Amino acid sequence: MDPNQTPTLSANSDIGTQRDTHKDFKEHSVAEFFKKNKHMLGFSGKTRSLTTIIHEYITNSLDACDEHGILPNIKVEIIEIGEDKYRVVVSDNGPGMPKNIIGKALGKMLAGTKFHRYMQQRGQQGIGATGCTMFAQITTGQAVHVLSAHNGKMLSCDVMVNLKTNEPDMTVIGEQDASYHGLTIEAEFGDVKFDKSSYGVLEYLKKTAIANPHAQIELIAPGNEYYKFSRSIETVPKKPKEVKPHPLGISIYDLQAMAQNSKEPKLSSFLIDSFSRFSPQKVSELKEIIDVDFSKSPKELSWEDSEKLVKAIQKLKWIAPPLDSVIPIGKDQIEKSMRNILDPEFMNVAERDIKIYSGGIPFAVEVGIAFGGKINEQKGEIYRYANRTPLMFDASGCAIATAIKEIDWKRYGIDMETDPAVIFVNISSVHIPYVGAGKQAISDIEEVQQEIKNAIMEAARGIKISLGRKRKAGDMEKKKTALLRYISRLSEDLTNLAETGTKEDLQKKLTNIIETRYMTSMVGEEEEAKPESSGAAEGEENGGEKEE
Amino acid sequence: MAEKKKSSPSIRRSEDQQAYDRLIGLGKGMVDEVDQGTTPTFETSLRGKSNILFDSAGYLKLGDKKETRKFMNLGQARVFMQTISVANKLKQFIREDLHTSIRGLYYQLKFSLGDDLDESLFEEQSESNVLVEDLEVALGAKREDFHLTTDRKGVLAGNIKLIDRFGGEEITIDGTKQGRSGWMIPSDVDNGMEIESLNANYVLVVEKDALWQRLNEDRFWQKEKAILITPKGQSSRGTRRIIRKLADRGLPIYVFTDCDAWGWYIYWTLKTGSMNLAYLGKDFSIPNSRFIGVTMSDIDRYSFLQKLTINAKELDIKRAKEMMEYPWIARHPEWVKELKKVLETKKKIEQDALQGQRLTFVSEYVKDKIEHNEMLP
Repeated sequence: MDPNQTPTLSANSDIGTQRDTHKDFKEHSVAEFFKKNKHMLGFSGKTRSLTTIIHEYITNSLDACDEHGILPNIKVEIIEIGEDKYRVVVSDNGPGMPKNIIGKALGKMLAGTKFHRYMQQRGQQGIGATGCTMFAQITTGQAVHVLSAHNGKMLSCDVMVNLKTNEPDMTVIGEQDASYHGLTIEAEFGDVKFDKSSYGVLEYLKKTAIANPHAQIELIAPGNEYYKFSRSIETVPKKPKEVKPHPLGISIYDLQAMAQNSKEPKLSSFLIDSFSRFSPQKVSELKEIIDVDFSKSPKELSWEDSEKLVKAIQKLKWIAPPLDSVIPIGKDQIEKSMRNILDPEFMNVAERDIKIYSGGIPFAVEVGIAFGGKINEQKGEIYRYANRTPLMFDASGCAIATAIKEIDWKRYGIDMETDPAVIFVNISSVHIPYVGAGKQAISDIEEVQQEIKNAIMEAARGIKISLGRKRKAGDMEKKKTALLRYISRLSEDLTNLAETGTKEDLQKKLTNIIETRYMTSMVGEEEEAKPESSGAAEGEENGGEKEE
Repeated sequence: MAEKKKSSPSIRRSEDQQAYDRLIGLGKGMVDEVDQGTTPTFETSLRGKSNILFDSAGYLKLGDKKETRKFMNLGQARVFMQTISVANKLKQFIREDLHTSIRGLYYQLKFSLGDDLDESLFEEQSESNVLVEDLEVALGAKREDFHLTTDRKGVLAGNIKLIDRFGGEEITIDGTKQGRSGWMIPSDVDNGMEIESLNANYVLVVEKDALWQRLNEDRFWQKEKAILITPKGQSSRGTRRIIRKLADRGLPIYVFTDCDAWGWYIYWTLKTGSMNLAYLGKDFSIPNSRFIGVTMSDIDRYSFLQKLTINAKELDIKRAKEMMEYPWIARHPEWVKELKKVLETKKKIEQDALQGQRLTFVSEYVKDKIEHNEMLP
């Protein structure tokens, strides 16, 4: 299914239309539109819908915590309350939300707190949490209950979306002093399902935990099953720098959405104000190439004109955006969290320089490959991420999957079909080149796909070395076992031949020689080899005694 | 472990006592190595072609090239363990004063390495056979000293008396009183056997049993004061040893075989030892032995033979060519001449052909050759 691409285009046209004809618009509010096209928000399929709900709340929590320098503690509780009906409670220790924001954040489409700000963040669309509110409304008729502890006050309220007007409908239940901060959202959803499939909530939270080693995430799943992903590091990630979007990174969709929210009177001033490196000089350069009226209101910018603009922008020369807008997770952080959560036998993380795509957009690819150990059911599984957010769907159309397919895995001694391996790929950028608005797949821009491939191959080289070492250690182990099986017989015959000492004594000495010999040649592998080898020796000794 | 008895009262003879002590010494050396924390090693001479030399004393021997096997070397571990098992078993045979064949040895050692192991100490007899040779070489002993018997094949008649201590008895064997069958030479003539008296001028070794019987019927050994021996083809170890012992007593050794590849091989093996058994050369070769015939030159000497030749086979031709290449043969111009004739005429002659005119000619032939010293070196 490819639910996102084409409908999104019309959705935006509708948004434009709605803004243009604000007063007499009734039937086609943006909320109405998304109600009809809820699959576009990720509400398609019962399992996926529940994952989408959790995703929206979790990304908001993580972003809020990161921005305020708080180590996130997030708790998710999912209670089954009927057939395909669940109560979901998500609470965090973030800053909470001020009263005047709650309505917008949870009860109004395209009005999210992040929308006008360009920094590398997880959620960027701003329709997510309101989408959940709407989904709760249409499947159970229930409002979303919010407990927000912010700035010493604790507010309890219910929020709904007015589907006709796309305005929040907020009922304050109570307000009291609070000595803590945090946000709890509680809502009931129908037409959803909790399961442990690879698209399910549990898998989503696990993946999220891996990419957010500073976060602690707990889940109480239906049936009172408790899961905890403890934090792997105690430092808050570097705060992303707020930068205006670079013209080269803008999509038609984003341009449309930004234009709708702009307060600038003219398209030209909107462009200069909203984007970095956008000077009046550049506006005149554009004027020469395309036939667009730069003096009209940005709210009147049509889809066609947006398309023309974006194309023309690609033709101009721009000063590149600053590289420091990209904040990767970090090699150590990835390694620690993958070890903590996946507990592999060995792993390797590739740390790459920041690269540029489309002539100016900086991005960074990080790849971690974890192999063996507790990983056994996952065979060559790919964990895809954009800005630490797991990409759960549309894997086949993703540049990450394509890059992995292109790699000759035999060269690295890995069989993607049968080997227990998890390949973690995170792309960090202010502008993730998504395929469509579904934001579940990375587009196959050549520079991006090549860099993903290079990063994976770099990580795979480390695995190849570890595998080689392991296989060598295995060989050593086999050699040792082969020798040990002979020492009982040899010790007995040699003791008799030499007419000196005892068999047991000689066997002990021979065992020691074998142990030492096949240990010293395995630098760095002692830990793995030791327990097994002494076990084998004991077994052999017992065998020897039996024989007597 | 019943084997642990350290006293060995039954050992009384010197050569196997020496072998016994060397076996213990081999084990002690290895235990010392283990005590020093190193892998036990076993050193033996290489027996490949590259390590075979011709000693100026006239026999093939092994050179100085050694092979060291280490237990800790995975590729050698099994064979190392097997070597020690064989050594220990051989020691046991000597101590218990019991003899067996290399096949008997193999069966003594063919058992599982353990209830939980799917591996036997020996799977094939070829595995243990070669280890016996290794131990012979490494310890400078013969397998007979390890109480291993070999096939008996040779037959002897003549004026010789031997004492055979066997099965707790001491028997005197008289070589003049063996009738038509002769005395069958045992596999070991060194341990528990000695020559009591000897009254002979030379030893005649006749390749074929048929010819030996012919000469025995003529009482050749009595008339000629000879020790008449047939190895019945290639010589067994016991036969080679008794011929060598007689040579050591100063008797000339004359060898009488067919004039063909097999006959020459029998002669040269007796004289210089063979490549395969180069490790035994020193004790088994008889460098001073001489070749009576049949030779190609005999065709000229005894004209009736001209009609009794048969065509040489490919193998004979090939063999003749090879022999001309061996330095220890090529150094004798007489042999080169002889072999060239084979290549020219592509003929061969059997011993039996000498009976062509009359049966008793064989005796005359041998006497004639010896008398006129018409022999090849």
